[in-house]
This record gives sequence, C-alpha cells and structure tokens, in this order.
Amino acid sequence: MSENIQRMYKKRPKDWITKWSIFLTIVALIAISVPYVDYKGLTDYGQEIAKSIILGIIQPKLSLLFDFSSKEAVPYLLLETVCIAFLGTLVGSILALPFAFFSARNLVPAWLSAIVTFFITVVRTFPAFVYGLMFIRVTGPGPFTGALTLAVSGIGMTAKLYVETIEDLDKGILEALDASGCNTIQKIRYGIIPQLMSNFASTTIYRFEINVKNASILGLVGAGGIGYPLISAIGAFRWSDAGTLLFGLIVLVLIIEYLSGRLRKKLATGV
Amino acid sequence: MIQFKNVVKTYPGGVQALKGVNLTIEQGEFVAIIGLSGAGKSTLIRSINQMHQITEGEINVDGQDVSKLSGEALRHFRRKIGMVFQSFNLVKRTTVIKNVLAARVADMPLWKSLLGVYSKSDKILALEALDKVGILEKAYVRADMLSGGQQQRVALARCLAQKPQIILADEPVASLDPLTSQQVMEDFVKINRDLNITVVANMHHVDIATKYAKRIIGIKAGEIVFDGPSSELTNDHLTQIYGRDLQRDDFMGVE
Amino acid sequence: MNKLKNALPAMIQGLKNAYFPEPLVLGNGKTVQPKRSVMVYILPILTIAVVFSANIIGFDIGVLIRRGAQFFVIVGRMIPPDWNYIPDVIGPLLETIMMSILGTMIGAFLSLPLAFLSSDNIIKNKAFLWTLRMIVSLFRTLPILIFAFILKYIFGIGTFAGTLAIALFTWLIMTKMLYEIIETVDMGPFEAIESSGASRVRAFTVSIIPQIIGQYISIALYNFEMNIRSAAILGYVGAGGIGLLLNEKLGWRQYDRVGLILFALLVTVYVIETISRYIRKRLS
Repeated sequence: MSENIQRMYKKRPKDWITKWSIFLTIVALIAISVPYVDYKGLTDYGQEIAKSIILGIIQPKLSLLFDFSSKEAVPYLLLETVCIAFLGTLVGSILALPFAFFSARNLVPAWLSAIVTFFITVVRTFPAFVYGLMFIRVTGPGPFTGALTLAVSGIGMTAKLYVETIEDLDKGILEALDASGCNTIQKIRYGIIPQLMSNFASTTIYRFEINVKNASILGLVGAGGIGYPLISAIGAFRWSDAGTLLFGLIVLVLIIEYLSGRLRKKLATGV
Repeated sequence: MIQFKNVVKTYPGGVQALKGVNLTIEQGEFVAIIGLSGAGKSTLIRSINQMHQITEGEINVDGQDVSKLSGEALRHFRRKIGMVFQSFNLVKRTTVIKNVLAARVADMPLWKSLLGVYSKSDKILALEALDKVGILEKAYVRADMLSGGQQQRVALARCLAQKPQIILADEPVASLDPLTSQQVMEDFVKINRDLNITVVANMHHVDIATKYAKRIIGIKAGEIVFDGPSSELTNDHLTQIYGRDLQRDDFMGVE
Repeated sequence: MNKLKNALPAMIQGLKNAYFPEPLVLGNGKTVQPKRSVMVYILPILTIAVVFSANIIGFDIGVLIRRGAQFFVIVGRMIPPDWNYIPDVIGPLLETIMMSILGTMIGAFLSLPLAFLSSDNIIKNKAFLWTLRMIVSLFRTLPILIFAFILKYIFGIGTFAGTLAIALFTWLIMTKMLYEIIETVDMGPFEAIESSGASRVRAFTVSIIPQIIGQYISIALYNFEMNIRSAAILGYVGAGGIGLLLNEKLGWRQYDRVGLILFALLVTVYVIETISRYIRKRLS
C-alpha cells in the first residue's frame, strides 16, 4: 500500500462518532419509552375480535349500508357527519378571518400581531376532541354541539393557514392600484381579495376534509355523526354492524379526499 | 470476450433498435461506438449488461449467454461490468469516497450497507481506485463540490472498485469541455492498458473516438456499417455512418 | 326608504347581469361576451347547503344564546389553574409523551420499507403498486382514535393499545409522505448501482436514502408533533395518557384542574414543537 494511500486512510473522517451517537440516542429513546408500555398480551377474545372486524369490513351488512330511510343507518349517519363538518368548517373559517387579519405582521403593528398569534397558537394546540369534551357540557350532546366544536377548534389551524397566505401578499399590486388613484376599499376589493380568495378557499376545503374525520370521532363523545353508533357497535360486539359503519366511513373519507384534492388542484391552477 | 450473435431488439410498436447485430470484442480491447443519436449505440451497449433486454439472438460473455440471465445470476454477472454514464450518476450530497464505496454494496450484507459500515480493505480499495484516476486528494470532499471532469473520474473510480472485467461507457465525455474530456479519456486508456479491462464506449464526438479508441464501430439504424481500426476510418465511411455530411457538432475540437 | 326604492332597479339589473351577462361593445366595434362568474353558481348552492345542514344537525340559535355564555364561564374557571394538581398530571403526561415517542419511531421505521414498495420509480409491477397503495389509503382514512378503540378490545386497556395505534397510524401516513418524496429523487445513482450488480434494495440503501434522509427525519418530527396531540386524547378510550383524566375532571366540574391539564398539554406541545422546529430547520 503506497504512502499516499496510507496517509489518506489515516485522514478519514471519524464518522463513527456520529453514527454511534445516533444509534445510542435511538436506543435511549426506546429504553425510556418502553417501560411505559404495558403489554398484557391479547385479551381473551382479542384474536377473534381482530378477525371479526376485518370480516365486517369486507362483507358489509347491505341492509345497514343502503337503508336510506332510517336515522340509524349508514347513509343518514354519513350525511349527518358531513353536515356537521360542513357547517363547522364554514362557520370556523368565517370566524378565523378576523383573527387571521389581526395576526398578520404585514397588516397590524407587531405587538398586536404577537398577542393574536399567541392566542391562535394556544387554540391550535388542542385537538378538536378536547373542545368536544368541553362543549358537550355547554350545549349538551348532539350534532349541533359537534358543529360548534369544529367551528371553534378550527379557528386555530385555519387562522394560521390564512395568515401564511396573507403574509405572502404581493404588495406590488397594491402599489399599482395606489398609483392609479384607488381608495382603500377599492384596493382591498381589487388588490387584496382576489389574491386571497383562491388560497382561502383552498384552505377551507382542506379544513373540511380534516373536519369530516374529526366529526366522526366527535361522535364518540356523543356529538353526533357516525362516531357514536360505531363505538356502541364495537362495544356491543356487533362486529357486522361495526364493520359496515367503518366501511361507510372509509368510503366517505375516500370520496371527500378525492373531491377535495381535485377542487384544490383546480383552485391552484386557476379555475 | 463479448460476442453478439444476430442480436435483434424490437420495441413494442415495431421499432427495431438493433437489426441483427454480429460483433466480437476480445478482452482488453478499447472500442468506440459512433453513430447518430437513436441509431442504436445506447441500446447496443446497454444490452451487454441487460439494462436493455434484447428480443432475439444471443449475447455471450466468456461463453455464457448473458441475455437470458435474471435474478441472482444476473446480478452476479453484472458485478464484472462497470458502467459510466454521461451524467455521472453520483450521489451529490455524499462524499467522493462514499460514492466509490457504493460499488461494494452488492457483496455486503444489507445491514452493513444500510448503516454505511465498510471494511478496511474496502476503504483501501476505494482509495486505490481514486488514486488510479488521479483524485485521491478529493476523497473526503462532497461530490457536488467537484467539477464535471472530476465527478466523472469519481464515477470511473466507482467502476474500478468493482474490479470489473469490462467497462461500458455511455457517452462519458459528452457533458464535458474538450480539455477535461481528454483528461478523462486518457484515464480510460490508462485503465484499459494497465489493467487489461475491456472498454466499450459510446461516443458522440467523432474526433475523440478516433483519437483514443483503437477500434471503431459505426452504427446506423440498428446495423453495424463499419467495424475496424480507427486509423482506417475515412470520411466516406463517416458519411455512410451518419447518413449525412458531418457537422461541427460531431466534433469536440481536438486534434 | 326612498333610497332603497331607487337602488332597487339597479340591484335587479346587477343581479340579471350576473346571471345573464350582456355582451360588451368596445370602442372599436368589437363585442366581447363576458362569462358568468363562478360565484353565481356557488352562492346559491352554498346557501341551500347551509340551510339544509343546519336543519339536519338541529341548529338551534336559542340554545347557543342561552348556553353560549357557559363556555366562557368554564374557561374563566380554568384560569388560574390548580397548581397543586401537578403531581397527578405528571404521570399521565409522561405516558402520553412516551407513547408518542415509541409509536412515532416504530411507525417511521416501518414506513421506509413500505414506501420502498410503494414507489413507482422502484417497483415496476403496476398491479402490485396500485393494490398496495389502495390498501394503505383505505386504512389511512380512519381516525387514530378508532384504531385505538379497536386495539383496546384486542390488547386490553392501557398504553400498549395507544402506542400501537400511534405506530400504525404514523406508519400509514409516513409511507405516503415518504413515497411522494422518493418519487422526486434523482434516479441516476440508483441506476448506476443497480448496473453494478446490486439488488434494488441495496441500490436504494446507498443511492436513494442519502438523498432523502433529511426530509425523512423532518416528516418524522412533524408526525411526532401531531402525534403528541392525538396521544393526549387516546386516553379517553382507555389507551393511556391524560385523555381519561381530562374527561374525569370535566365531568366532576373541577375546571381549575382541567385548566392545569390543558396548561400542561400546552407547555408540552410548545416545547416539543420548538425543539422539532429547530431540528427541522437545521436539516434543510
């Protein structure tokens, strides 16, 4: 082995340090977290349950699936879930607007922006479920509470996304309008609103998609939608019903995701 | 030894990229393949290591029909063949030596390649390969910090780390300037001469091909229309290969 | 009143113009037919949808007005939080954090091979690819709470169900995020290593993973952030963490303790998000 090669070999970067620290970090993380996980093994009928659920999904109970008249059947429940999400998203988006505007650093003074942003961050931290637990105690169970929950909890994330859009505003357009002699209202109407509209709409649709899933779990606490019947079916070991409801939910979410994706693509590329 | 026997490549849809190619290349030769874009140069070269699959005929390497290999047998065969690409195909974000060491993963257990654990002998091998192409000093530099010519040499070193019998080069200097191209071609010549590795290279530029390769193969529309020493390549031959008069683009500008 | 009367014809004309825009005649004699704005379709549909939905869910403005104030009363009682309750919160909070850590790590780790199998620049068998992606998409639609709930029946109440739920959920989500990244990668080196006789898995390891490792860690951290929040509520279905505690305290109207729980959650999420954001910034 030539001298040069030997020299270069000695110079090689000691990346074993990095590799070992990463490895040890991962091991450490696993080591501290595993004790918190108590594995009790399968419950007595754990395996059965797993199988039954899968079976229930693959072979849905058609009577439940296509019964359009009953309020307990899949179509109505899905409709209710969608409506909860729809109203919740709509109201939430409207409510988020003022918060967004008052938190945008290019529109309001820094101190105000900081306060409102903080508020938005706090609201955003808690999952919708937490709001659900609270609102149940305010307006009682039922789908109305669900919509209310989604409206309020949505303010956080929606406002944050709105703010990102607002802060990306192209000021040049405003300057041009200013130069041609527009007043503030005209500047807002022709300069700001068109830029924001399509992004806001896209954000709202995205939020709707998320809220459909949220609405289904709000049902768990009794806030309407497909959540509660699902949970009670599982709890009562009515696997076929549970599987059917899950099937319905999966189909609903897939459809909404597809439509939402298409719509938002159209918005992004200019309808 | 590489042997093509009546090799045909037909694409679905009817287009024939290779029409009955017969060819023998002995171990240690330096062959350049020239022709128009789309004449079949790339298909010819890439069918040797089955990057493209042929539809009829045989390709024998050292007596074994490699066109029918698959799975582990194919992979085993490919280890003897190094390949250099026009766009270098290095992992830009990693260092030069890691790029060269990548040639060794075919023989390593999965966990070692996943974690980047290479043996000392592998590392020495990689350094020696880099030394052979004259960029030992750049071993620990990030690949995207190098010039085009240097990157191509790293790619060449990567091939050498395989300890190959044959090196295939698909337009290796087409992206480089004349000066650098010559340096890289000289490396190819050196490797071919010192290590007796067969070099089969596609060349876009005729002058580079004739300057460095001992044997030229001219392809036109999937058929070999010239096969002989580069000294015997005349302008008439060139017009026949290219089907037109040669233009400035066909030359890199070296004498 | 008079003002309204005078404005009315203009409004009607405006409305008519929106639905049936009249062609405009330009100075040079050419006519241009403006298109109907999309809004004229959207607004009526939206209105109908709103009324319909409100009906279905039983929108009752009365309830809102009467009980709405109660919400603010509750919030009022949460501040100041009951600081003495801290010791009782630490345990469940740690559970939540640990479940998220382990669950996210397992999910992230498993998502590499699954994303490998779902990338169209590596796997050429369209039928296999499509089927695999379909199955992953299917399960991805389910909210994590449903996973946790079902797993609770299979594995019993406790943090195992929660951790597994997080792991599965993260696995599915990260697989999609990962294969979308893999499909944007430079395939050149992959081709080169494959041609040197390495299997696709090994070629992937040495040529693609280095290109995506930064983004991989970034999305893992992002998922970890999201998972902390989800983990907080898994407790509600008995899958460990502070969710159950939260519901209990709400039920007993111990709002000051609820305030503390929420505060603890807030602090935890904030700390984790800050650290995560810092690491993600360093990575790009």
